[in-house]
Amino acid sequence: MQAEPDATQMVNSRPAVQAGSRPAAPKMELRGISKKFSTRRGEVVALAECNLAVEKAEFVTVVGPSGCGKSTLLMIAAGLTEPTTGDILVDGLPAGAPGPKRSVVFQRFALFPSETAAQNIEFGLRVAGIDKAERAARVTELLALMGLEQFRDAYPSELSGGMQQRVAIARALIVRPEILLMDEPFGALDAQTRTVLQEEVSRLRRQMDYTVLFITHSVEEAVYLGDRVVVMSRRPGRIKTEITIPRDAAWRGKQIEDASNYSDFNDVRRQIWELVRSEIVRE
Amino acid sequence: MATLAARQSRSRPDAMHGNAMIWGAASLGLLLLLWFAVTSGSALIAPRLLPSPATLAERFATLAVTPFGGNNLLGHAAASVERWALGVLAAIAVGLPLGVMFAWLPPFRAALMPVFELLRYIPPFAWVPIAILWFGASTLTQALVVFIAAFPACVINTQLGVSQVDKVLVQAARTLGAGSWMTLRHVVLPVAARDAFTGIRIAVSNGWMALVGAELVVGKVGLGFLISQGQANDSVATVFVGIIAIGLLGVLIDSGVRWLQRVVLPWSQ
Repeated sequence: MQAEPDATQMVNSRPAVQAGSRPAAPKMELRGISKKFSTRRGEVVALAECNLAVEKAEFVTVVGPSGCGKSTLLMIAAGLTEPTTGDILVDGLPAGAPGPKRSVVFQRFALFPSETAAQNIEFGLRVAGIDKAERAARVTELLALMGLEQFRDAYPSELSGGMQQRVAIARALIVRPEILLMDEPFGALDAQTRTVLQEEVSRLRRQMDYTVLFITHSVEEAVYLGDRVVVMSRRPGRIKTEITIPRDAAWRGKQIEDASNYSDFNDVRRQIWELVRSEIVRE
Repeated sequence: MATLAARQSRSRPDAMHGNAMIWGAASLGLLLLLWFAVTSGSALIAPRLLPSPATLAERFATLAVTPFGGNNLLGHAAASVERWALGVLAAIAVGLPLGVMFAWLPPFRAALMPVFELLRYIPPFAWVPIAILWFGASTLTQALVVFIAAFPACVINTQLGVSQVDKVLVQAARTLGAGSWMTLRHVVLPVAARDAFTGIRIAVSNGWMALVGAELVVGKVGLGFLISQGQANDSVATVFVGIIAIGLLGVLIDSGVRWLQRVVLPWSQ
């Protein structure tokens, strides 16, 4: 484990507005996003008029009941799914085709089975035509960052789920994305591995100040990791509420177990859980 | 946990492999014993119909050095392997790219799939007369029959492999900046290679079987020809030498392809 960074290394989440200039555009903005699917049983509205902005160096978590379209929203943000209406802007400009500016961590890891951990991590640099020496240096750096040194030459089939997701996170980070999109990245992991990786992502965040859009169905995870928690309604998914979590909360940097001993953590968690619960359709 | 499971699943086939070897050897030994019992042991089956193990071994040794039907055993085997290799390599060279294109380029598939479907339901042997008309009794004739027998398995399995590559892998490649060609080359083809290899294994054995059939009908050299010569000369031992050589070579070729797969695709175990 790396040493905890001290508070002075933390960067404010909101960029300061320069006097006399226009306010900077958000790092990413989803504007008026809706999505309709046609199925055998007719048209399904998955998302209706979603507006969401993620500021530079902000960690936004999205929670909602299952089937609310939160993963669809992330796929749209990544450019992998076309929205029926709406625009995706990065730094105020249309985002266009998918690419390494918006790298994605998928729930099912999505590692290339024919490549070793190191080759998977290197992939984005290889397709960008970066020279071999720099690729090797950056891969080594990422392997160390994710605690994967011993697994450099392992194939995905030889790795546990937690290790596979570490490789996938390293692969998404190595391209130095403008925004990291994470689609329920810990949803397929067992509870213990999930806890360790949640703490790992929280540590990385405090060290490096990534801009992240993070989808989850776990309220606890959303509060623990997020600077802002976005709550979605049941289908057709809308953005119901946004709750800002103080970056200097006393439990930040603590283990997730310990965080739940803080009353402010629990209060927010309970408040958000009530919002989510009210959206869960009774069977 | 998954690592442990992977290790267990890898060690279990090893243990089973040991058992399977014992069972295989036992059943072969039993067959040999039975064979001996009904021939040399009792003459229950006339030597004209089934040679004894000793007669067969002797015939094997003779044919290994003495020409029969123009060539010794090695000569016939070499001719068969050459035609087979020609036909199978051509089937792989044409079939794998075609399978990839069928899966990756929908308009291409739409245009050519009906033709392919029609052709692949024509049995390879139906082409023998045409092959003779086109190429005469040459190596090309038999190679064409091998090609026709081997080709569909290459195309179909490769197409299946490419079209079954998990969409999320393609999405992951795109978000990392890979274009269509890069995605195909670095992600889709390596993953599809496992299914392509299955296709190659089927093609190899289909081609081998079709070859021997074609050699029975046409040609002056080859293991199939050796068998037909044995029958024409009332030498049942020669026929059996040919049959056993065909079986052994088939097994050898298949293990060669499997070895190649382990070398080329170490991750697919």
